[in-house]
Amino acid sequence: MKVGLKIWRYDAKTGDRALREYEIDAPEEATLLDCLDIVKDRQDGTLSYRKSCRMMICGSCGMRMDGGAVLACKTRMYEIAQRGHVPVISAMGNLPIVKDMVVDMQPFWQKMRAVEPYLQPRYDQAQEAENIVPKAKMDVIHKESLCINCGCCVSECNSMESDPDFLGPAALAKGMRFVGDARDGKTIERLERYSEPHGIWDCTRCYFCNERCPKGVDPRDAIAKLGAEAMKHGIDRDMGARHAKWFVVSAKTTGWLRETELVPKTQGVVKAIKEIKFAMSLLPKGKVPPPFPPHVAADIHESRQLYDLVKEQGRDGALGIVQGERALMHLEHHQGSGDGHAKHPYGAESFPLPHLPDATPEDDPNVAALLETAPANRSSRVIGDTVPAVAGAGEETTT
Amino acid sequence: MEVMHDVLVIGAGCTGMRAAIEAHDRGANVGVISKLHPTRSHSGAAEGGINAALGNTAADSPETHAFDTVKGSDYLGDQDAIEIFANEAPGDIYQLEHWGAVFSRNAEGKLAQRPFGAAGSPRTVFAADITGHVLIQVLYEQLQKRMDEGMTVYEEFFAFRLVIEDGRCTGVICWDIMNGGVELITGKAVILATGGQGRMFRATTNAYACTGDGLAMALRAGLPLKDVEFMQFHPTTMYPSGILITEGCRGEGGYLLNKEGERFMQRYAPNALELASRDVVSRSEQTEIDAGRGVNGSVLLDLRHLGAEKILTRLPGSRELAMTYSNVDPIYEPIPVRPGAHYYMGGVECDNWGRTQIEGLHAAGEVACVSVHGANRLGGNSLMETIVFGRRAGYSAAEYALAVTPGSSDGEAARADADRWVQGLLDNTKGERPWQIRDELGQSMLENFGVFRHPDKMNSQVGIIEKLRERYYAGVVIEDKGRVFNNDLTQAIELGYMLDIAACMLQAGIARKESRGAHSRPHDFPDRDDANFLKHSISHWRDDGPVLSYQEVRMTRWEPMERKY
Repeated sequence: MKVGLKIWRYDAKTGDRALREYEIDAPEEATLLDCLDIVKDRQDGTLSYRKSCRMMICGSCGMRMDGGAVLACKTRMYEIAQRGHVPVISAMGNLPIVKDMVVDMQPFWQKMRAVEPYLQPRYDQAQEAENIVPKAKMDVIHKESLCINCGCCVSECNSMESDPDFLGPAALAKGMRFVGDARDGKTIERLERYSEPHGIWDCTRCYFCNERCPKGVDPRDAIAKLGAEAMKHGIDRDMGARHAKWFVVSAKTTGWLRETELVPKTQGVVKAIKEIKFAMSLLPKGKVPPPFPPHVAADIHESRQLYDLVKEQGRDGALGIVQGERALMHLEHHQGSGDGHAKHPYGAESFPLPHLPDATPEDDPNVAALLETAPANRSSRVIGDTVPAVAGAGEETTT
Repeated sequence: MEVMHDVLVIGAGCTGMRAAIEAHDRGANVGVISKLHPTRSHSGAAEGGINAALGNTAADSPETHAFDTVKGSDYLGDQDAIEIFANEAPGDIYQLEHWGAVFSRNAEGKLAQRPFGAAGSPRTVFAADITGHVLIQVLYEQLQKRMDEGMTVYEEFFAFRLVIEDGRCTGVICWDIMNGGVELITGKAVILATGGQGRMFRATTNAYACTGDGLAMALRAGLPLKDVEFMQFHPTTMYPSGILITEGCRGEGGYLLNKEGERFMQRYAPNALELASRDVVSRSEQTEIDAGRGVNGSVLLDLRHLGAEKILTRLPGSRELAMTYSNVDPIYEPIPVRPGAHYYMGGVECDNWGRTQIEGLHAAGEVACVSVHGANRLGGNSLMETIVFGRRAGYSAAEYALAVTPGSSDGEAARADADRWVQGLLDNTKGERPWQIRDELGQSMLENFGVFRHPDKMNSQVGIIEKLRERYYAGVVIEDKGRVFNNDLTQAIELGYMLDIAACMLQAGIARKESRGAHSRPHDFPDRDDANFLKHSISHWRDDGPVLSYQEVRMTRWEPMERKY
C-alpha cells in the first residue's frame, strides 16, 4: 500500500524545524514504526527516532501522530492509508526535542526517581521464602505495574504544560504502584511526599493521560487513588485535598454541596476574606446562597447511609476509585451462545475444531464443553492457503 | 589516569542490572553502559516466566529441574553449571519477590507456577504473560536506589570496542549516542551482558537492538565463542511479524493445529504433545508446513477451548499482541504461528562465575555460554539464567576488582584509534547503504540456516556471507553525517557484528555432522552422534576468518540417553 507521512524534522545542530513529506510503499500490515524504517532505509538515512522491541513493551517509540502521542509500533497504518490521510508525525510534547522524533527523556526519569520508585519493605526479609500476599491485594496494583515508561501520558499532560515541575502522570502512577503494594512500609511518607506542591493535587483531571496511555495504565485513575488514600490517612493539608474533603463532608451532613463554605474550607478563612468582594458580585445573581440555616436535603438519610456503606466496605481509599474501567474495555469481547449477533468460538464459519489425529473433537472434555454452548448452525470454515487478513486492525480494536 | 569504575557492566537488561546490583552491594563502584535506556532492554519482552523449583503448585526439586535442563540441552549442557543454576534459582526468585516483583499469586497467596515445555513439574513463576517486563521494572527500581548511592548509568552509550592491555580488560570504548563522540570508560573489571544476535534472521522475536554486539567485541578481542551453531527457533512466533507468542499459551493448555484442526504434535511427541521441548515442536511444525498441512506457511495456535476468562487473566498480553499484529482475537480464532529465531544458546565461553579467558573480563546471560542450555534451551530458563549468572558475574567481578591494582596504561591510544575508525566510517561517501546487506543476511540466514539445515544450503550460505562481508568491508555509506542521535552510524556498526558472528555460525554448523538440539540435519546426519560430537564447538577469530576447535562437555551425574518427549 502507499503510505504518506508528513514528518516534523528537527535539526539538532541549527535548531531548525521543517515539515517534510514522504511517500513510501509498505506492506498492508505495516505499523507507523515499519513505515519510518522504510523511510530511513530507502529515502532518508538522517531520520532519527528511537525503537527497539516493536511489540509494545520496551516503550522506546513514543511520538506524536496528528498531535496526539502514540507508540509507533502499535499504530497500524492500513486504515489511515486507505482513507488517503497523510498524518503529521512529530516528537512528543512536554519534553525537549533533541532530533526529529527523539526527545530528551531525562526530565521524565528525574521525576520517576523523585517518587522513590523502589519497594521499601515492611517485612523482615531474612526468610528464605516469598512474602505471602493474597492475589486480590496484588491485583490492586495490576494496572500501575503495566507501565512501560514510554512517556505518552507526559507528552499530553496539560498540567505539565503549565507547570514543568509537576510530577506528572507516569511518576505518580509509579508512586501508586508502591502505595498500593501491601509489601511496602512507607505508605504515609509516600503520600505526604506526593501531596506536596507539584504533586497529586496539581493534576487538572483532563484525562488526556488515560486517553493516550498505550498500555491501559490509566495514570489519572492512579492519581485519583493516591488522592483518596491520602485523605483516608488524614493527609489533607493541600487545598485540593481540602476542596475534595468539603464535598464529602457537605454531602454527608446536608446532602447538598454548600458552595458558600467551599471557599473558606478550601483556601482557609484569611484567604477567603480576600474573595469577599468577588462573592458580593455573585450575590445578586443568586450564586451565593446564605449559609444559615443550611439547606438540608429531604432524604438526607440516604446520603448518610451511602457514606457509612463506603466506610464499612473500606472503599474510602483507593478501592473507591473505579478499578480497571479502561482495562475492561481493553479486554472487551462478546462471547455468547451464538444466537443473536454474539460471536462464539465454535460458531458459524469458525476454524475447524481441534482434535487428536486418532480422536474426535468431542473426546476432548474442554472442547466438548465449549461445543455444548455453540449455536446449532455451527460450521467449520474451509481453510485455504490464506491466513486471516491482517489488514484493517485499527486503533479501535486494540485500545 | 585514574580508573573510573571498579566494575563496568555493558548492557542493562536483566543480566546487566542484576550483575550491577550485586557488584554494588559487594562494595564496588559500578558503571553501567547501555545503548538503550535500561527498561528498553529486550529482557522486558520475555513473556511466559522464569523457572525455579519452588514446588508451590506440585512437588518439585532442583534435581528434577537440573535433569530436565540437561535432557533439554540434548546433553550438551555443562552439568556442573546446570546443577548450580537449578540449586540457586529458588533463592534468587525469593530475592526478586522481596525487591517487589509483581508476580502472579496462587490461591494461598504464594507465587503461582505454570507448566512449561519439557518440564517435569509446573515450575515456571510468572507475572501473567509479561514476566520479563515485571523483572526489568523491579531490577531498574533497585538500580535507581543504588544510583542514589553512587552507581553511574551511561544511558544510550553504544559500546563498540573492548580495551585490552597487557592481557587485561581495562575498559570499553563507546559512542555517546545523544551527544556524539567517542568516549573511553575505564574499569578494573568488565562484564559483558549485551544479549543475543537474533536480528541476523529475518523472522525473529528479537528486538532491533539484539545485534550480537558483545559477542563480536569479544571475538575481535581474541576470545573464543562456544557452541555458535545453536540458534533456538521458538515454535510460536506470529506471522508475518515474527513477534513472540509465549510458550505460556501452551503451558495454560493451548493446542497446535494443522489446517485440518489436527493436534499434530501427537505424531511427534506422543506424551508431552504441545509441551515438548522447543526444538522438537519447531521441527514438527516445520514438517507439517513443508508437507502442505500448514496455512500460508504457518500452523495454528488454538486457545479457544481455554475460555475467555483464562485468556483474559492469564494471557492478556498475548491476546493484545495477536489482535494488534495478526488481527486475530484468540478467544474466537486460532493465531497463525511458525518457528522464528528466538534465542542464542551459543556465546562467549566462560566459567561458572562468568570469568572469561581474558583477565578482568566477565560475561553472563545470553551473550555468554556457560553452558546451561547446551543445544536447546528450555522455556523459562533464560530469565532464570540472567538472574543466577548475572549475580554470580557481578560477585566475581567485584571480588576481582577490589583486590587488583590497576595497570599502568590508560587506554587513550585505543580511544584515539577508535575515534579515527568512526570518523573514517562517517567520512566514507562511496559504496552502498547498509540496509540491503542487512536484509539479504536476514533472508538468507533464515532460508539456509534455519530449523532444518541442508548441507547444500549451508555451503551456499557460506558463499553468501563471504560476499556480503566483502560488500560491507568495501565500505558502506552512512547518510547521516551528524553527531547527535546518529543511529544510521550505530546500525551500520551493528551490521558488521552480525556478519562476523554469522561466519562463525556457518563454519561450526557445517562441521557438526550430527543432529543435536536446535542443530538439525535430517538430510545427511539425522541422528545424534555422541561418539564424535558430544563436545562444544569453540570458535576463534584469526586474521580474516573463524577457526574452529572443540572442548569436552563437563558431565557430573547424567549419562546421555535417548531424548523423547
